[in-house]
Amino acid sequence: MSRTLRRRSTIAASLALVASLGLTACGGSDSGSSAVPPSAGGGGEDVLQEVYDDAPVAEAAALLSDSTMAEIRERGVLRVAAALDAPLLSQQDPSNPDDVQGFDIDLAKLLAIYIIGEPNIEIVPPASETREALLTNGTVDVVFNTYTITEERAEQISFAGPYFVSGLAVAVRADEEEIQGIEDLGGRTVIVGANTPAVTAVPEEQPTAEVVSFATDPQAVQALTQGRGDAYVQDYTLLAADAESNDGIKVVGQPFTEEAYGIGLPPEDQDFKDFVNDWLEQVYADGSWAAVFDATLGTVGDGSTPEPPVIGSVPGS
Amino acid sequence: MRARRVSETAYLYDEPGPRARRRIRIASAVSVLVLAGLLALALVQFGSRGQLDADRWTPFLSWPIWEYLLVGLRGTLLAAAVVAVLGGVLGVLLALGRLSPVRPLRVLCTGFIEVFRTLPVLLLIYLMLFGLPAYGINLPVLWKLVVPLTIANAAAFAEIVRAGVLSLPRGQSEAGASLGMRRLQVMRAVVLPQALRAVTPSLVVQLVSLLKDTSLGYVVAYTELLYRAQVLSSYNRLLIQTFLVVTLVYLVVNGALSALASRMRRRTTRTAAPVAAAVPPQQGAPAPTVEAPRG
Amino acid sequence: MSALIDSWPALLAGLGTTVLVLVTSAVGALVLGVLVTVARVSPVPVLRAAAFGYVQVLVNVPLLALLLLAVFALPDAGLIAPLTVTAIIVLTVYEAAYVAEALRSGINTVPRGQVEASRALGFTLAQTLRLVVVPQAARAVVQPLGNVLIALLMNTALAATVGVVELTSAVNKVNLVQAQPIPIFGAAGLVYMALALVIGLGAGRIEKKVAIRR
Repeated sequence: MSRTLRRRSTIAASLALVASLGLTACGGSDSGSSAVPPSAGGGGEDVLQEVYDDAPVAEAAALLSDSTMAEIRERGVLRVAAALDAPLLSQQDPSNPDDVQGFDIDLAKLLAIYIIGEPNIEIVPPASETREALLTNGTVDVVFNTYTITEERAEQISFAGPYFVSGLAVAVRADEEEIQGIEDLGGRTVIVGANTPAVTAVPEEQPTAEVVSFATDPQAVQALTQGRGDAYVQDYTLLAADAESNDGIKVVGQPFTEEAYGIGLPPEDQDFKDFVNDWLEQVYADGSWAAVFDATLGTVGDGSTPEPPVIGSVPGS
Repeated sequence: MRARRVSETAYLYDEPGPRARRRIRIASAVSVLVLAGLLALALVQFGSRGQLDADRWTPFLSWPIWEYLLVGLRGTLLAAAVVAVLGGVLGVLLALGRLSPVRPLRVLCTGFIEVFRTLPVLLLIYLMLFGLPAYGINLPVLWKLVVPLTIANAAAFAEIVRAGVLSLPRGQSEAGASLGMRRLQVMRAVVLPQALRAVTPSLVVQLVSLLKDTSLGYVVAYTELLYRAQVLSSYNRLLIQTFLVVTLVYLVVNGALSALASRMRRRTTRTAAPVAAAVPPQQGAPAPTVEAPRG
Repeated sequence: MSALIDSWPALLAGLGTTVLVLVTSAVGALVLGVLVTVARVSPVPVLRAAAFGYVQVLVNVPLLALLLLAVFALPDAGLIAPLTVTAIIVLTVYEAAYVAEALRSGINTVPRGQVEASRALGFTLAQTLRLVVVPQAARAVVQPLGNVLIALLMNTALAATVGVVELTSAVNKVNLVQAQPIPIFGAAGLVYMALALVIGLGAGRIEKKVAIRR
C-alpha cells in the first residue's frame, strides 16, 4: 500500500512540476524536472544542468566531411536507440513524455551536445532483439541500452567504449529465502531477458536450470513477482534499479559475470567509432561521466563512484 | 435497435404462449443470477487484491496520462489510415488481377493472395525488420509497420472485392460488353461500383481488423496505443488498470467503426441481395470467401 | 540452410507448441462458440444480450491487448496460469467470438420460409434446429469456420510476444544466433502455409460431405 501511495505522490509531484515548468522551460525541454523513478531526487538534476552547460563540444575539424557525425549535425538531432521503461537508466515520465532520464539517456544527451551543440535526441525504443537491426538499417545513429559488448555482436555492428562495467546478478522475490545467488539456481525456473547475455550465461553456470525469456525488463520483473520463475538473471545495474522502484523484489549475491557496456554504432564506420571514443575520453576526464553516474545509478548502491572503464579494453570493442 | 436484434432470430420459434413465457422468465432470472454471480466473483477477486482501490484508478483521471495515451491512439489511427488506403488500392488491383483473363497475371495475383492470406503478420514484420537491412533497404519506423500490414491486408481486401465482383449477376458485364465497352471499361464503370457497394460492410469490418493489427507496432517500436500502454504500465505499475483502460479505448474506437459497418449492412441488405457472409475477418485473417450461390 | 538443420530440435519443439496451441484452442473455441451461438438465438433476452456483448467486445479488441492483460496484468488479481495455458485460454475466448459470428451467419443463410414451414408442421424449436436449420446451415458454415481456424493458426504466432516459445518465437531465436533471416523466416512461412493448407483441404472435404445433393 505504501508503494501505491508513494507512486501517487510521485505522479502528483511530477504534475506540479509539469505545471511549473510549462511556464519557464520552453528551451531546454530535455533537461529539467525530477520523476525518474520515485527515489531519484530533484537535487541531482541541477547538477546535471551544469554538466550540460559545461559539456564539451567537438571542434569543427573533428566533424569530417561526409562523415556520420557531420550528417547528424546537419540533421540537428541524434537518433538514439534507448529504452523508455528502464528506471535509473532510461525512463520516460508518461505525465511529461519529453522528459526521459537516466544514466544511458543522459550520456546520450552529452554525446548530442558534443556533436550538435544541443541535447537534441530522438529516442527509438528497441526490443533487445532488434538493436542490431536498428543500427544496420540506419534507423538510429547510436545505441545506449545496457548493450553488452560481445564478439558475436561485434561481427554485425561496432562498439565504442566500454562506458560502464557491470555483471549479471540474480534477483528474487522479496520473501524468497532459499536462493542466495547463482549457485542456488540448479533445477529452478530462471527468467531472463530475450537476447541478453543471460540467455547463454545461465545454462553455462547452471545446466539444470529452466530458462524462460521475456521481451522487456518490466515484463520479466512482472513475471518474477507473479511467480512465473524463481529468479530473474539480468545485469546488476538494471536489477538494482528495478529493486529500488519495486518493493516486491531484491537482488541477492554478487554479480557472477563481467559485462562491459558499449555504445552500439553502425558497422564499418571507423571514423565515427574513433570520434565517439574521443568523446568518451573527454567526459571521463572532465568528470561529467561521474556526475551523470552520481545523479542516476549512483543513487542506489553504496554511494561510491566507480572508475570509468578503459576504452577498447574488451574483445569486440 | 434492441427490437430489431430480437426479431433477427425470433422466427425460429412461435410467439411464446403463457407457459413458454413463464419458462422464459425463469430462464431469464436464472441467467441473470448466474451472470451477476460471475461478475460478483470477479469483483470480489479483484477487490481482495486491492485492485479496486480508488488510488489505483484515480491516475487515469489526470489529463497528462490521457494525453500520453491519446498520442499513442493518434499513431494507431495514422498507421491504420495509411494501411487502409494502400491496402485497399492494392487489394482492388489484386482482385482485378485474379479475375483477369491474362493467365500469367492471374496466376501471379492468385499466388500473392494465397501466400499472404496464410502468413502470420508477426512473421512478416520480423522478416521485414531483420531481412530487409541485409539488402540495404531502410524504412522509417512507421513504414516498418505499415508495409507488412499493407501486404497482409491487401490480400484480405482482394478477396472481399473479388467476392463482391463474383456476386454480381453475369448479365451486368455482358450488358456492358454488348454496349461495346472494353473489358476494363466494364470493370470500372459497371462492375466495380456495384461490387464495392455490395461489400462495403465487409470492408469496414476489415478496417476494424487492421486497426487491431496496428497493435503489433510495438515490435518495431512504433508509437501506438498499446505500446504507450506498456510504457505507462511499467512506470505506474498499475497493469490491470492500464490495460483495462486501453482495452476500453480500443473498444470505443472499433465499436464505432463496427456500428457503422452494421448500419451499412442493414442498408445494403435492404436494397441489394445479401453478399458477404457477416464473418468479420480478424487479425491478419483471410477475408471471408463468399461463394456465388449455387442453384 | 544449414542454420535450419543445426537447430532443428528447437524448431521442432516450437512447431509442436504451435500445433498444441492450435488444436486445443480450436476445439475450445468451437465448443465455446457453439454455446455462445445457442445463447444468441435462444428465446431468453438476457442470454441473447450477454452473447451479443461477448461477441462485440472480443471482435473489437486487439488479441495482443488481451494477451498482455491475461499474462501480465491478471496475475496481480491472483489469476495466474502457466504461459502456454494462458495463451490457449485467451485464444479460445477470442476465437470463440469469431466462431459464433460464423455460426450465426450460417443460421441466417437458411431461408425463413423453411423454419416457418417446420413450425407450421408443429416442430419444436429443438426439432426445427436439428432437422431443418443445422443440416442446411452446416454447409454454409464449413468454409467460414475453416477461415476462422486459419486465422487462429496465424494468431498463435502472437503468443510469441508474451514468452510462449512457439514456431515464430523459435525461428526468431534461431535467426538471432544465425542471422540468416530470409531462409529461416521463409521456411517458417512455408510451414504456416502448409498448416493452413491442411485446414483448408480439411474444410473442403467436410464441405463436400455435408453438401446437399439435389
